[in-house]
Amino acid sequence: MAKGKKVTVIGTGNFGSTVAFILAMNGACHNVVLRGRNYDVAKGKALDMSQAANAARQHTIVKAAKGPEDMADSDVVIITAGAPRTPGMSRDDLLLKNAEIVKCYAKEIREHAPDAIVVVVSNPLDVMTYVALKYTGFPRERVMGMAGILDAARMAHFIYEKLEYGAGQIRATVMGGHGDTMVPLPKFTTVAGVPIEDLLDSEEIGEIVRKTRNGGAEIVNLLGNGSAYYAPAKSTTVMVEAILKDTNQIHSCAILLKNDYGYSDVVSGVPVMIGAGGAEQVINMTLKPLQQKRFKNSVASVQEMIDKLYDMDFFAELETEEKEEKQADDQA
Amino acid sequence: MTKRKVGIIGAGAVGATAAYSLSMMGTCGEIVLFDIAEGVAKGKAIDIGQSTHYAPNSTIITAAETPADVRECDIVVITAGVPRKGDMTREDLLMINAKIMKSVVEDVMKYSPDAVIICVSNPLDVMTYVIKQMTGWERNRIIGLSGALDGARMAYQIYKKLGFGAGQIGTLVIGDHGQNMIPLPQEVQVGSVDVAELLSKEEMEEIIERTKHGGAEIVKHLGTSGYYAPGRAIAYMVEAILNDSKVVVACSALLEGEYGYSNVAVGVPVVLGKNGMEQIIEIALDDETKAKFKTSVKSIQSGIEVLRNNQFFN
Repeated sequence: MAKGKKVTVIGTGNFGSTVAFILAMNGACHNVVLRGRNYDVAKGKALDMSQAANAARQHTIVKAAKGPEDMADSDVVIITAGAPRTPGMSRDDLLLKNAEIVKCYAKEIREHAPDAIVVVVSNPLDVMTYVALKYTGFPRERVMGMAGILDAARMAHFIYEKLEYGAGQIRATVMGGHGDTMVPLPKFTTVAGVPIEDLLDSEEIGEIVRKTRNGGAEIVNLLGNGSAYYAPAKSTTVMVEAILKDTNQIHSCAILLKNDYGYSDVVSGVPVMIGAGGAEQVINMTLKPLQQKRFKNSVASVQEMIDKLYDMDFFAELETEEKEEKQADDQA
Repeated sequence: MTKRKVGIIGAGAVGATAAYSLSMMGTCGEIVLFDIAEGVAKGKAIDIGQSTHYAPNSTIITAAETPADVRECDIVVITAGVPRKGDMTREDLLMINAKIMKSVVEDVMKYSPDAVIICVSNPLDVMTYVIKQMTGWERNRIIGLSGALDGARMAYQIYKKLGFGAGQIGTLVIGDHGQNMIPLPQEVQVGSVDVAELLSKEEMEEIIERTKHGGAEIVKHLGTSGYYAPGRAIAYMVEAILNDSKVVVACSALLEGEYGYSNVAVGVPVVLGKNGMEQIIEIALDDETKAKFKTSVKSIQSGIEVLRNNQFFN
C-alpha cells in the first residue's frame, strides 16, 4: 500500500522553519513533523504552515512532535538543531557544543526512524555529518550533509551580480568542506552551457571565489544576531526533494569518503547522485593539481576537528557499545 | 504593466503545443491562435481554453478570424510553412516557405508592430533571415528556435546513456538548425560534473550523431515531425522574454560581425529578455569548431543565395 511521504525537521529556528515552510509550499511530502525543544513554538509554527499550505492549495500537513516517537516512519530527517554561529565566533567554537546536540538527535533517529535518510545542516557541517553517521550507525548513503548546493548557489549569485544575466541557470561547482576551506571550481562553472571563463576574466572570477568563501560570514555580520537561512533552507529542500522524488540528479553534498578522491573515514563535499536511496553514487571527478591541493587542505581541516572530538572522548560511548556487542556476539 | 499577449501564427501541432505549454504554466495573459485552415485555430483554442481550468492561472485563448486579430502582441511566434513533400526540391521548398513568411510578416508589421518575432518555420535560419529582411526591424526583435530545442534533444540523449541527471544536463548546440548543427560536448555538464568524467569519447560521438538526427528519428516513428519538445522550447523562449529573465539560450540570431560573420542568421548563445535578443555571447571556439561553424554558416548562406537568385528579395 502506497503511503504519503513524511519528513521530520529537527530544530524549529529560522533554518528548520524555513525548510518546513518550503516543503509545505511545494507540497513536497504529505507530512512534515517539526521537532523542537519547545513544543508550543513548534505547534504554533506547524499550525501557521498547515494553514499556509491550504492557501497554496497544497496537501502538506505540518505537525509538531510531542516526543521523538513522532518521527517514526519518516523518509527523511533533517537535523538543523545546534547553537547558531554569532559574529566573531568561528565554526570550531561550535564544535563540541553542537556535536552533543547532533549526537542526541542521531540516537533518537536510530531508535525511532531507523530507515530514514538523514540530512545534516548543523555546523561545523562536515564534522556534524560525521557525528550523525557514527551515532545513527547508518550506511553512508543515508547520512548526508548540505553544503555544496548552498555554496554553489552563493557562487552563482555572485556570478550573476557580475554578469547581470543568467540568473537561475548558472551551474557553479563547490567541493570540499563547508567552511573557510571550501573549494569553488570555476573550471566546472557554466551559464547555460557557456563556460564562465568565456564571460569573465580571471580577476573577476577570483573576486567571485573570495566572495563565495565569505558568503555565510557576510550575512552573519549584517544580521548581527544569527546566520543566513533562506538560501540554506532552499538548498536543503533541493536535497530532500531529490530524495523524495528519486530524481537521480547530481548535487554536491557532504558524505563519508570511502576511497573517494584518495580519502577514507572523513566527511567532505563531493558530487553525489541522489535518489530514493540517498546518496546512491559518489562521482569521482578528475581534479587538477591545484584543486587536489585545496581539497587536501579542506579534508585536513575536517579531519582535525574529528580528531579533536576523538581526543575529547566524544566517540567513547560508541567504542564501548561496539565492545559490548562484540562480547555478546562472542558469547553467542 | 505589460499585457503579456502572444500571437501564434500556424495552429498546427507545434503552434498548438506551444500555446498549451504556455497556458499550463500560466505565463501570459492572452494567446491568440491563427491558422489558414478554417476551424483548426478555433477548435484548439476552445480545447486549450477549457484545460486552463486546472492551470495555476487562467490564460485567455482566442482564435483569430483574420490576421488583424493578431494585434498588439508582445511576441508573435511564426510556425507557418509547408513540409517538404515527395517531388519538391529543396529549392522549391525554400521559395514556398519564404513566400509564406513574406505574407505573414506583412500582417505582423501592420498589426503587432512592436512585437518580438520567434521564427519556427524551416529551413529555420534562412527563414529567420527572411523575416529580418522583410521587416527591416532591429535584429534584437527577430530570433529563431534552434539551440533551445537541439540542446534539449542532446540532453535527452545524454540522459539515456547515463540513466541519471535528467533535468540538470547543461548542453549547448550552435550553428544551423539542420544537417550541420554543432553540439558542443566540451561544454556539457551534468549537475556540476563535466560530462567527460561520465561518458567516453565514443559514447559522446554517438550522442552527437543522435542529436543531429533527433528530429528525423521522431519522424521515422511518427510519420510526422515532433512537436512536444519544439512546443515546450518555444514556450521557454516566450517565458524568458515576457519575464525579462535574461537567461542564456542558443537561438538563431542575425550576426553583425560576431564570430566573424555578418548578414546571416545562425544559432549562437544569446541573452533573452524583454527586448528579445539582448546580447550575443561570443564563446571561444577551437579550430575544429570554427571550421564546423564555417560549414554551418555556408549552408545557410547557400539557402539565402537561392532566394536571392530567384529575385525573392527584390
